[in-house]
Amino acid sequence: MSEPETIVTLSGIHKTFYRGKEPIHVLENLALDVPDGSFEALMGPSGSGKSTLLNIIAGLDRPTSGTVRVAGADLTTMSDGQLAKWRSETIGFVFQSFNLIPVLTAAQNVELPLLLTPLSGAERKKHVETALRVVGLEDRMHHYPRQLSGGQEQRVAIARAIVNDPKIIVADEPTGDLDRKSAEDVLTLMDRLNKELHKTIFMVTHDPLAAERASVQRKLDKGALQ
Amino acid sequence: MVPFQYNARSLWVRKVTTLATAFGIALVVFVFAGALMLGDVSRVLAAAGRADTVIILRKGSDAELTSAIANDYLGLFRGPPQVSQAGGVIGEIVVVVIAEHADGSGSSNVLVRGTPPEGIAFRPEIKIISGRAPKPGTNEVIVGKAISGRFKGLSAGQSIDLRRNRPLQVVGEFTAGGASYESEVWGDLDYVRNALGREAVVSSARVRLNSSADFDAYRQIIETDKRYSMKVMRESDYYEKQSQQTAAFLKTLGLVVAILFSLAAMIGAAITMNGAVAHRSREIGTLRALGFSRRAILASFLIEAIVLAVVGGIIGSALVLVLSVLVSFPVINFQTFSEIVISFHATPAVFVKSLVFSGVMGLIGGLVPAIRAARVSPIEAMRA
Amino acid sequence: MNLATYARRNLFRRRGRTILTIMAVTLAVVIFCAIRTFIVAWNSGADEAAADRIATRHKVSITMQLPKHYIEELREIPGIKAATWANWFGAKDPKERLPFFAGLAVDHNSWFDVEDEMSVPPDQLAAWKETANGAILGDQLAKALEVQVGSRLVITSDIYPGDWEFKVVGIYTPRRKTVDRNTLVFRWDYLNNDSRAVYSKEHLGWMVSRITDSAQSADISRRIDAKFDSRDDQTLTMSERAFALSFLGGFAAVLTAFNWVSLVILLIMTLILANTLAMSVRERTHEYGVLRAIGFPPGHILGFILGESLLIALVGGVIGVGLVALVINHALGPAMEANMSGVFQHFFTPGWVLVVALGAAAVLGLVAGAVPAILASRLKITDALRRLG
Repeated sequence: MSEPETIVTLSGIHKTFYRGKEPIHVLENLALDVPDGSFEALMGPSGSGKSTLLNIIAGLDRPTSGTVRVAGADLTTMSDGQLAKWRSETIGFVFQSFNLIPVLTAAQNVELPLLLTPLSGAERKKHVETALRVVGLEDRMHHYPRQLSGGQEQRVAIARAIVNDPKIIVADEPTGDLDRKSAEDVLTLMDRLNKELHKTIFMVTHDPLAAERASVQRKLDKGALQ
Repeated sequence: MVPFQYNARSLWVRKVTTLATAFGIALVVFVFAGALMLGDVSRVLAAAGRADTVIILRKGSDAELTSAIANDYLGLFRGPPQVSQAGGVIGEIVVVVIAEHADGSGSSNVLVRGTPPEGIAFRPEIKIISGRAPKPGTNEVIVGKAISGRFKGLSAGQSIDLRRNRPLQVVGEFTAGGASYESEVWGDLDYVRNALGREAVVSSARVRLNSSADFDAYRQIIETDKRYSMKVMRESDYYEKQSQQTAAFLKTLGLVVAILFSLAAMIGAAITMNGAVAHRSREIGTLRALGFSRRAILASFLIEAIVLAVVGGIIGSALVLVLSVLVSFPVINFQTFSEIVISFHATPAVFVKSLVFSGVMGLIGGLVPAIRAARVSPIEAMRA
Repeated sequence: MNLATYARRNLFRRRGRTILTIMAVTLAVVIFCAIRTFIVAWNSGADEAAADRIATRHKVSITMQLPKHYIEELREIPGIKAATWANWFGAKDPKERLPFFAGLAVDHNSWFDVEDEMSVPPDQLAAWKETANGAILGDQLAKALEVQVGSRLVITSDIYPGDWEFKVVGIYTPRRKTVDRNTLVFRWDYLNNDSRAVYSKEHLGWMVSRITDSAQSADISRRIDAKFDSRDDQTLTMSERAFALSFLGGFAAVLTAFNWVSLVILLIMTLILANTLAMSVRERTHEYGVLRAIGFPPGHILGFILGESLLIALVGGVIGVGLVALVINHALGPAMEANMSGVFQHFFTPGWVLVVALGAAAVLGLVAGAVPAILASRLKITDALRRLG
């Protein structure tokens, strides 16, 4: 049996922020390998740099130094424009506060990433319906976010995250704003995405029950991985 | 009462919005103040009129320009007891001539007044500010400050032709306390009327009475005299009537502009304050939860709106100050066809009115948002 | 759905703000058009002046008169097709139905030949030649003074004493929209023969000539002035347009000020629009971060914001232009033309003003949105996501 490919390879990662003149070393000499198809949870205290690491993996931020290879692309050599395009094709985002656009319906929210592709209107519609079916909210297609519960909103957000068929789903505290039951539904869904649709999932979380669902659990403390 | 620091800080924190709105209101105030000062024509003209001085025109004429009175009658005007022996009677001739603008931008009518030797002394407010008074009986003239230098030939040392081969030589410049005389050229009565072929005629007579109360008696005497048909008016009334049409026209224009612009100011204030209330609903909820009453919130946001608008008013007033120093303005008097120069006279009244105006704009524009703010319930404080 | 949907839907997010901003744009467009219309109307008398007519008056003053024999000499000058003259009468209505109106003593044999946009039936012209104290009035003036053909009319003058009685022999109607309809003309010889006209006897006020070739207008004018240059009463000849403008010239400064005011209102509109956009963008910074994260390039964000700004400006602009066309051209304008025709014969917003106003709204809509848009699109994604609003 061959080793699964690593879909994320980070090495020598340093990230320094500046508060005025004072440098703050958030990540120091960090290395990370994530195998393809893995479901990873990253935990750690506040300010440990979890979100920073997530941002670097997702191509939202650049490290101060080090190399970042994700899904076969060397992110550090890519321009902002190239990164944007790469993100739209490769990454699906799930945020803590759902971040749906309030003036668009569920279906329109899910359709948003597809507007960046050359697909026709009819093709986009099909993809949207598929994605919403996966998350079990086909019947709520034309509802506005304010008409949905928190759990439903997050599931629509997940549908948006997968509609472009990304390789990696990046989730920042996906259950942070949800009650227990909704959190369970969301985690079960993410589980299915990982096991049935073979999506690699990289999740940052405080929630130990969420972390339990992951196949790999890592801790980040003072800029270094344990 | 909600402490004013809260409002002040809130305005300061959203600097860009605050400044943009204030500047918009400043522009409105600028236009408003300009319109206010524009309607000031009457002031310019009225300054020439005294209550104890009477102007006599031929009956049926409305202005000096179209009136003609035989010279002989001047003696008769001097007769009645109401006439002040010290002040006396003068007859003057008035004509408009075309003068070319010094900057080549065209030409306008300028009023030339032929006055007797005692004509300048008749008006104590006349001051020769450069050069000297004209010698009586000569072709020397003085020009009013408002038009000096604006026309070809009407500056010290220059001359213009009253008629072919009849030049007027400029020997000095005068002021008249801001009155319309400052837009005129004054020369010798005989020289001017002879040049025009109007010997033994004057356009108007001015009579100084012993007191302003003598007006009715004097008028009765002159207007009922069967030897001639004259119209007697108080000088101040004459000038007021003169400017009526022009003033009414400019005032109406100014008013319409001011009303329309004030709408813009109110809308601008409303948008900003509405945004502020929406943005700060959690803060307001917190204030309510802490115990501040609805009325206190209402007052607080009203004050914020008014302060914002008044800041705009102050900026606008500063702009107006610049305008008043830099710009003065020729306007045609409909009734005499001659030019009067109006300068933007920035009196304290103008500033006060402008600031009050801006405050009122802020009040009206900010009213609905303030009511909205007062309606915010304390529960908003808990919202995520 | 497409990208425009998002921009459009965003306008409904804060409906009150959008409506107020649209109102501001509408107001600005209305004010702008009104001011421009006013300026156009003010100058319309001059703009519509005939190209082949010139006016000759005393060089020194409009109030000074020329010897009557000048007209015979003028008519001999090559290039003059026909010439007539007039004296200003300073007419007033003793019943004060009007504050004043234009009264002229003219040459009854030539006046309407030269001033041919005023149309008079030939039989009325013939009657005028037979009636020494005959007068012809513009149709609006006749209505205001409540007279018809055959009526007796008594007027007074600012310049000449006493009452002057005329018989209305004709009423002229305009051949073109912008022609003055409020003038009274009577026979010059009637004035000249009256003892009260002692100061203007054998004098005329100014002459109006029809020239054979409009292109030669300047040359012919110079020729006329040259002829009378050596006389005591020199002349100044200019095109009819310049003549009309010389009366308006005194108000040039007011009109310039008005011009500036129309620009100021556009500036205010831009400020209000920019402020609204900036407020909305600030509230949606986090959302723009999300869109950028998903993969929308900064250019798209720019486009969304500019699109919103443009949309508000266009909606406000269209409503404003529509209001102007409706109110001014269909209601206010005709009312002003009927009642204030002394000042505004022609109060109408020309099409080009509407187009310019709408265009200005669109352009300024883009300008107003530019700064918030550029700032938003430049923001780092991670900073945008960190924002709460």
